[in-house]
Amino acid sequence: MPHNQEAESANAFYKKLIDEVPDLIFKAEYTNGKYSVVFCSESVRDIYEVTPEEFIADPDYIITHRILPLDRAMFAKKLEVSRIRLKRYDHEYRVKLPQKGLRWLRITGKPEQIETGGVAFYTRVSDITDLKLQEQKLQVSEERYKFALEAASEGLWDWDITKRTVYFSGQAMKIIGRENKDATVPQSFWSSRVHPDDVKARDEAKRKGLRRGSSYESIYRIRTDEGKYRWLLSRGRAVEFDKNGKATRAIGMHKDITQLKEKEIQLGNTITIIGNQNTRLSNFAHIVSHNLRSHASNLKMLLDLFKNADNEEREEMLSHLEGISDGLTITISHLKELVEIQTEVKTVKEHLNLRHYLKNILTILHHEITKHSVTIEINIPLDVTVNYNAAYLESILLNFTTNAIKYSSSERKPVISYDFEIEDGKKVLFISDNGLGIDLRKHKNSLFGMYKTFHKNQNSRGIGLFITKNQIEAMGGKVEVTSEVNKGTIFKIYFNEED
Amino acid sequence: MKKINSLYVIDDDRIYHFLLKNLFKQNGITVKTNFFSNGQEAIEALKQDEAGDNAPDLILLDINMPIMNGWQFLEEYAKLQDRIPKTSMVYMISSSNDVVDINKAKGYKSLVKDYFLKPICKEDLDKIFISGN
Repeated sequence: MPHNQEAESANAFYKKLIDEVPDLIFKAEYTNGKYSVVFCSESVRDIYEVTPEEFIADPDYIITHRILPLDRAMFAKKLEVSRIRLKRYDHEYRVKLPQKGLRWLRITGKPEQIETGGVAFYTRVSDITDLKLQEQKLQVSEERYKFALEAASEGLWDWDITKRTVYFSGQAMKIIGRENKDATVPQSFWSSRVHPDDVKARDEAKRKGLRRGSSYESIYRIRTDEGKYRWLLSRGRAVEFDKNGKATRAIGMHKDITQLKEKEIQLGNTITIIGNQNTRLSNFAHIVSHNLRSHASNLKMLLDLFKNADNEEREEMLSHLEGISDGLTITISHLKELVEIQTEVKTVKEHLNLRHYLKNILTILHHEITKHSVTIEINIPLDVTVNYNAAYLESILLNFTTNAIKYSSSERKPVISYDFEIEDGKKVLFISDNGLGIDLRKHKNSLFGMYKTFHKNQNSRGIGLFITKNQIEAMGGKVEVTSEVNKGTIFKIYFNEED
Repeated sequence: MKKINSLYVIDDDRIYHFLLKNLFKQNGITVKTNFFSNGQEAIEALKQDEAGDNAPDLILLDINMPIMNGWQFLEEYAKLQDRIPKTSMVYMISSSNDVVDINKAKGYKSLVKDYFLKPICKEDLDKIFISGN
């Protein structure tokens, strides 16, 4: 019959079509507590390695002989849930085939209530082994990457330069004290946290590093949520460019190098301290060599001459012998003072009221101050204290003040001012005068050296400044000087007390 | 050999001035000697004597001095060379046995003839006054 023939040819058409699909397509029915397959495509030969006839004759064979024992329970359960709730199912499971061995399969389909009261399943099974392997590989490499980054405490950043946003991995967010969770934020979120002193160098590194063919590297400090700064090593490169060759996307990593950097800074400080000690030592060796030697050689010359001198000459020589002896005594006492500073680094420190100590010194120098009609200006808050050695503080204030008076200019009324300031959290005392000044271009290096003087002033021996500098450094501080000839001098004393 | 008639001693140690004078006297050295207690004073004296009539044949120079030390003197003296018709021989005489200083003196080869360590004795004077030049 034409109608039947038409229907038959349509069926044949669909069957041919279905058989061409690599996926297995079948229809199963559940009635009276039993599953049966009513139709299945030729692909069952590939998917399960059974013939359509075998599959139709015994569908349970697939469960008992193909699906891996580990996956059977879940497979059965999913099927049951779908049947009872009449919900679509989509499930992945493994089979072991005689030829192809282990394969990953995915079963999807739709259950439908049928007139007999049972359920029909329109089902498709695809081989997803290749997909699954890819997925696993990707997962392995992603995990490897993630663990490596975590182990190296490195965070990832991915900067969309056009959109001005940055993706940060959880580890990157952890550096600034956030929870270990990735985030995409405006680029200002990060750049606003960069330490002000590091902004310029970082911008410069970005400008140079994000060109085609180059790479970016920068070390800077980033502010955490706590308000503290951590040292960061940032490395990366531009990966996408616009038609003008301008970077539009860059990827890189962040490494927290705070511990390393702090050790480096510590080491640097240690080197500075050792360097200073070395300078002091060589200065010390220099006085021993120069000053002691000069007295000794005078003594030797004098004795040689004495042998051949007449009585009158001898008399004069004896008076000079006294001079040599005095000089030697002074040098030795200076040496003793210096040795004491070098050896008593752990000298007792106390909290001393700076203004109070200054007043005491000015009282001691009262006579000198009146004689030269010096104007004294004190800008030190009443409550300022420094943790310092009392004897050193007195000696330092005394020395700078005596110097300022001694080298005052006869052309104007001497003014000495004492100003206290806090600079970068450190206590600093400025002692300024309007005296003769020092030509620092000529004398900068020798200013605090031994026995260096810069003025034609009687008894002006440079030992004072040398000892003062040693005392300041022994307390962990430093001294700086600025001066202009015939204008005045400013000494800056950094206390750097370790409270 | 040129006879040494005049001499500058540049040293801040007054006792050394006195001792040197006596050493000359005891060794029969008669020479017109000007004493300066730092480099600056000596430079000023050289500048004032524009004709160079009184420029010394010999300069005995210390290193460590206030205001202008021996090295600074050498720098200034080198600048004056073109203006002064007569060139003086310079000997450095210092208490410093620091290698740095001794090597530095060697660096002034064209100006500095030799370096002597204090105390100065008769033999040193012989070298300077007799074998010198």
